[in-house]
Amino acid sequence: MKQIALYGKGGIGKSTTSANLSAALSLQGLDILQIGCDPKRDSTRMLMHGNFIPTVLDLVRERGEAALSITDVVYTGFHGIRCVEAGGPEPGVGCAGRGIIATFQLLEKFGALSGDVIVYDVLGDVVCGGFAMPMREGYAQEIYLVTSGELMSLYAANNICKAIKRLSMRAKSRCRLAGVICNAKNEPREEELVTEFARRVNSALVHFIPRDRIVQIAELNRKTVIEYDPGCPQAQRYRELAARVMENTRFAIPTPLEIHDLESLAIEFM
Amino acid sequence: MTSNPSPSNSCRFGGCTLTGALSITSHVCDAVTIVHGPKGCTHHNFSLLHATAMDSESVRIPEIFSTGLMETDIIFGGEKALDLTLDSVARLDPAAVFVLSTCITETIGDDVRMVCSIPRGFPIIPIPTAGFLGGPFQEGVNNALIALAEMAGQATTDGGVNIIGEKNLEYDVDENFIEVARMLDILGLPVNIRFVHDLDTDRISHLGAARLNILRDPALVPVGTSLLHRFGTPYIPSFPVGVSGTAAFLESVAGACGIDCRRALDEEQALQEEMFCDFADLAGCKVYLDPAMTDPGGIHVVRELAGALKLDVTPTGCRVPVPLDPPVGIAGMRRMLHRWRRAIHA
Repeated sequence: MKQIALYGKGGIGKSTTSANLSAALSLQGLDILQIGCDPKRDSTRMLMHGNFIPTVLDLVRERGEAALSITDVVYTGFHGIRCVEAGGPEPGVGCAGRGIIATFQLLEKFGALSGDVIVYDVLGDVVCGGFAMPMREGYAQEIYLVTSGELMSLYAANNICKAIKRLSMRAKSRCRLAGVICNAKNEPREEELVTEFARRVNSALVHFIPRDRIVQIAELNRKTVIEYDPGCPQAQRYRELAARVMENTRFAIPTPLEIHDLESLAIEFM
Repeated sequence: MTSNPSPSNSCRFGGCTLTGALSITSHVCDAVTIVHGPKGCTHHNFSLLHATAMDSESVRIPEIFSTGLMETDIIFGGEKALDLTLDSVARLDPAAVFVLSTCITETIGDDVRMVCSIPRGFPIIPIPTAGFLGGPFQEGVNNALIALAEMAGQATTDGGVNIIGEKNLEYDVDENFIEVARMLDILGLPVNIRFVHDLDTDRISHLGAARLNILRDPALVPVGTSLLHRFGTPYIPSFPVGVSGTAAFLESVAGACGIDCRRALDEEQALQEEMFCDFADLAGCKVYLDPAMTDPGGIHVVRELAGALKLDVTPTGCRVPVPLDPPVGIAGMRRMLHRWRRAIHA
C-alpha cells in the first residue's frame, strides 16, 4: 500500500490536484482512499459530484464515537474512490489539530486505512503537531509539495520542508519528501523557478500542471477534470502526474532554505 | 526534600497555579469552585486538600466540581461543558462560583471569561490558573486573593486588622493565626477577617473595612499592594517570625496604626525570657541546621534563636528539624524547640 500526502499553501490547488490524481490513479485500476485533512472539508467534493460528505468529527460530535462504524465515515465517489473528510471544530474554537489525531485513531480502529493508494490532502500549512499527523506514525511516507512560482507559495512549501526534515530525523520515521508538484499560475519562467527550488531543497519537480480554464469549468460541473473531459490536455497532465507518482522512487530528507536564499532565488527568475 | 516524614515537614506548596488558587477558593465556605478541565486535575487537588484538612482535624469537604473534559470537548471547544457545569452547580444555590482554568483549556483558547460573564443570579469569578504558563503555587494564591477582593465594595473603617493569605495548607495554620491574634490583642487590635480562611462570602464585603492588612509572608506583597490601591489599606509584609522579627512586627503594626507598643514589647520580651529559661538545658548542645529546607531569610531567624539559646551550631552536630517556613511568634519557636530537644535526646 502506497500512502502519499499533499501539502502546500492554502488556495494553491491541493484539493483539485488530489482529486484529479485520485481519479487518474483509480482509472489505472487501483483501489484509492482519499482523506481530506482540513476543517474546510472540501477535499473530496469533486469526487462526490459536488456533495459535502459528513465529516468524521461531525459524526463523532452528533452521534458519539461508540455509535459509529466504518460505513458512517467512508463514502464511495467517482469510479469507486473511497472518500473521507476529517472535518474539525467550528472556526475559532477548540483544537483542529487534535481533531486530526482523533480522526486518524478512529480510522485506524475501523481498519479503514486500506487500499492500493491512500491520498492525504492536508490543509495549508503544518500549523501544529496535529496537522503533521499524516506524516507521522508511518502514515504517509511520501510527501508531495504543491506550489506555484509565487514567493508566498514557495515560502509555505519551504516551511513544510522544515516539518518533513524534523519528522524524518525521528527514529523509525519513514516520512520523506517525494517531490514538488508545480500547480502553475502561468507566470513567466515559473517551471524553471520551481524546478530550481525543488533541486535546492534536495528534491525534484515531479510534474508541471499549467493553469487551464478547464479546471474551473469542470468544478462548476461538480466533477474532476478527469471525469468531465478525459480527452483534454489537462486530464492528460493529471494522468502523467499519476504515472510519475507511481513510478517515483526518489524519496529524500529535504534541505529547507533560509528566507534570504528563497528571496534571491525568486529574484533570479523574475 | 526532607528526610523527616512528619506532616509538618511535607512541602505542600510545590503544586501549580491551580493548586494555589484552590487552596484559597476552597476556604470560601458557602461558595463552589469549578475546575475547567479533565477530571484528574480536580481529583489530585481534591485529594491534597482533603488530606490536609484531615491533618487540621477539619471535616468540611470543599465543594469542588470538574467540567470533566474529554477528547471531543478539546477538539470542539470546552465552553459548552463549562456552561453545563455552571447550570448544574446553580442547583446548589451557591453564594459565589469560582471558575479555575487548566492547562488544556488555556491551550485551546476556551473563552472562560465570556462564559462566566453570562448572568446566572450569583457571582461567577473566573481565575486563570493554567500551570503550564509557569506561574507557581504562589501565583495561584495571589491571583485568587486579588480576584476575590473584587467582590468587596468600599466599606467604612471599623478599626480591625485583616489577616491576608494564610497558608491554608500548612500544618500550623491555626496555631500561627492564634499567635498573631494574641499579639494584636495586646495591641488592642481586633481581627476583622481572615482573607481567606474558612470565610463566608458575605464577610468578604468587610475586606475594605480594616485599618491594616497583615500578610502571611512577603510573597503576598502583590496582593497587599493591590488592596492598598483599592481600599487605601496599608500592609505589613509578614507574620512575626523569630526573636527580633517579633519585636519588629509589633513595632511596625503599632507604627502603622499610630498606637503605643511599649506594653506589648515588654510582655513579649517576658514571654521570650520565659522560653529561654524553659529551654536553657539545650545550651552548649551541638546541632546542625539543615539549610536546604528553608529560604535564607528563614535560616537567619533560626540561627538567631540558636544563638540566643547558646547552642553550638556545627556541621557535625545533631541534625535538628528546621521547618519549611520560619517559626511564627513564641508559640512557633516553642514548637520548633520541642522538636529540637527530642532530636538531641533521641
